Amino acid sequence: MEKTVIDAHNISKIYNPETIPVYAVNNVHLHLLEGEFTALVGPSGSGKTTLLNLIGGLDKPNEGNIYINGTDITKLSAGKLIDFRLHNIGFVFQSFNLIPVLTAKENAEFIMLLQGIKKSEREKRLQQLFKEIGLEDKTDIRPSQLSGGQQQRVAVARALASRPHFILADEPTANLDSVSASNLLDLMEKLNREENMTFLFSTHDQRVIERARRVITLVDGRIASDSAAVPTSIPHEQVVT
Amino acid sequence: MILLMAWRNIWRNKARSIVIMLSVAIGLFAGIGVLALYKGMMKSRIRAVIDSEAGHLQIHHPDFKKDNHPAFILPDANALLKKVQSFPAVKMAVPRTLAQGMLVTTTGSAGVQINGVVPALEYSASQLKRKIIAGEGFHEGKKNEIVIGKKLADKMKLKLGAKLVLTFTDTADNLVSSAFRVAGIYQSGNAPFDELNVYVSLTTLNEWLLTGNSFHQIAVILKNDDDLQVMQDQLKKTYPSLLVQSWKDLSPETELMVKTVDEYSYIIMIIILVALAFGILNTMLMSILERTKEIGMMVALGTAKAKVFLLVLMETVFLTIAGTPIGFLAAYIVIGYYQKHGLDLSGMGKDMMASFGFETTIYPSFPSEKLVMILAMVICTALLSCLLPALKALRLQPVEALRR
Repeated sequence: MEKTVIDAHNISKIYNPETIPVYAVNNVHLHLLEGEFTALVGPSGSGKTTLLNLIGGLDKPNEGNIYINGTDITKLSAGKLIDFRLHNIGFVFQSFNLIPVLTAKENAEFIMLLQGIKKSEREKRLQQLFKEIGLEDKTDIRPSQLSGGQQQRVAVARALASRPHFILADEPTANLDSVSASNLLDLMEKLNREENMTFLFSTHDQRVIERARRVITLVDGRIASDSAAVPTSIPHEQVVT
Repeated sequence: MILLMAWRNIWRNKARSIVIMLSVAIGLFAGIGVLALYKGMMKSRIRAVIDSEAGHLQIHHPDFKKDNHPAFILPDANALLKKVQSFPAVKMAVPRTLAQGMLVTTTGSAGVQINGVVPALEYSASQLKRKIIAGEGFHEGKKNEIVIGKKLADKMKLKLGAKLVLTFTDTADNLVSSAFRVAGIYQSGNAPFDELNVYVSLTTLNEWLLTGNSFHQIAVILKNDDDLQVMQDQLKKTYPSLLVQSWKDLSPETELMVKTVDEYSYIIMIIILVALAFGILNTMLMSILERTKEIGMMVALGTAKAKVFLLVLMETVFLTIAGTPIGFLAAYIVIGYYQKHGLDLSGMGKDMMASFGFETTIYPSFPSEKLVMILAMVICTALLSCLLPALKALRLQPVEALRR
């Protein structure tokens, strides 16, 4: 049986709930299995980033529950949620968001240090990660000296360094040229194929959408279509393994 | 990693950080300078009290201080003097006969404290010889010579060689008067002292007071200032029937002044550091504001809020601490120079300083005993300065911070 990674039930994010309610995410059901390579698409303002933030535990829904590997993250306290993110979720942001005062290697190492991983293990992982992203010769360079594509690769390495259950990427190719975007997608696909890493990314980029194996379309905060063979909503009790 | 980040973060805006570090350095330099100046002034004042006025300790008949009656001489005074001199911690013990009286000239009169002294001993004990600015002082074999302070000489229009009359009561309560000739005019740097105290020969005064070869006071000069309390206790224990007082008991205003100035110096230091704290606070707030997105991202990735707080705290501490050695070093060098060469403050009002008992040339003293306290105050400043920026950083919601 395939393992469920993300199971979101009836989640809604409402701004101004007391006055003029605006539904950024409206009663969404989402079910992701391990190893999926999923694109979240939709026009601007459709709620893609909000949905990613909710799934990533960066924001709390007004309604509904989100289970990550069986843990309802909507019930976690702020402190526990930070710890949960650290150990379970990898993030890749649109504008890379690397720490400018740290080198590429230190950026990737930072998250492992937060996890308390031993130096020998960190070194081993870093060596492997930088080999995978093809930046073995750029480890000691600061982000400002890297190209956008290289920075985003380091961001992927950082997301992978913590050995998360899945990676959330918010428009990862938006700030990249076509070659860098293609290279990044190659890398993400490779990680998905070879390491069975689950990816959920929001995008406008047609090149990304074409390479996704599952495409979920959001319109006005609701799922308008889902190319998945499995239903988008499965009762939690049936899928948690 | 947090420490490394904190250190690198403060160099992201070099000019801003350097300005703050220099502010801390200048603030500390100024603060330590003030402390050193105060310490120098107080040391000078204490030295003046010990060396020129009271000595370290004084021994009297217990009733003498109550009404200053000349009958209250020290019992078996000469034997007592020898015994006191024999204490290893004692550098010198000098006898003094004391009387309160009126100094009368053709132009007026003034109340004075008449000190009957053994000139040779007094010259060393109270450095009277060094302080004489006119005349040679006492001449051997000459009776009825008097050395008066400059302030009194100016007030009574007395010049070297001038005649005056001292009137006082003897041990039998008879009013006696004797004429003296001014053999010297001294200036101690303490105008009120100079106005009040006159010196005559102990033998001469004893003859008029009918105190024989006894005296009222033994002034004790110690080899080491630090032995004061031990020696006072020892003398009190050895001579329980006598009054043994330290300069702190005899000159409580000096002791109070030392304590008050000590407190003032801390207040000045606090004012300087509070002013600095606002500068540091402003810098850190700007730094946090500029890095809102970055901090939001760190929290999003799973950085605990305690670590974010630690980052802001360490940045503030580094920013504050980095200027500290520069401030300390600059203060050490400048104070060292003036400690050797003296700082002439006569331009600030020689008479005013003298009227408070201060020398016009101050030798600032580096307040090494206060360095730990200053360092603690600097760290407290850093901690206080970081609180608001740290709270601002902690309140950042990653989802909002990432949107910026």
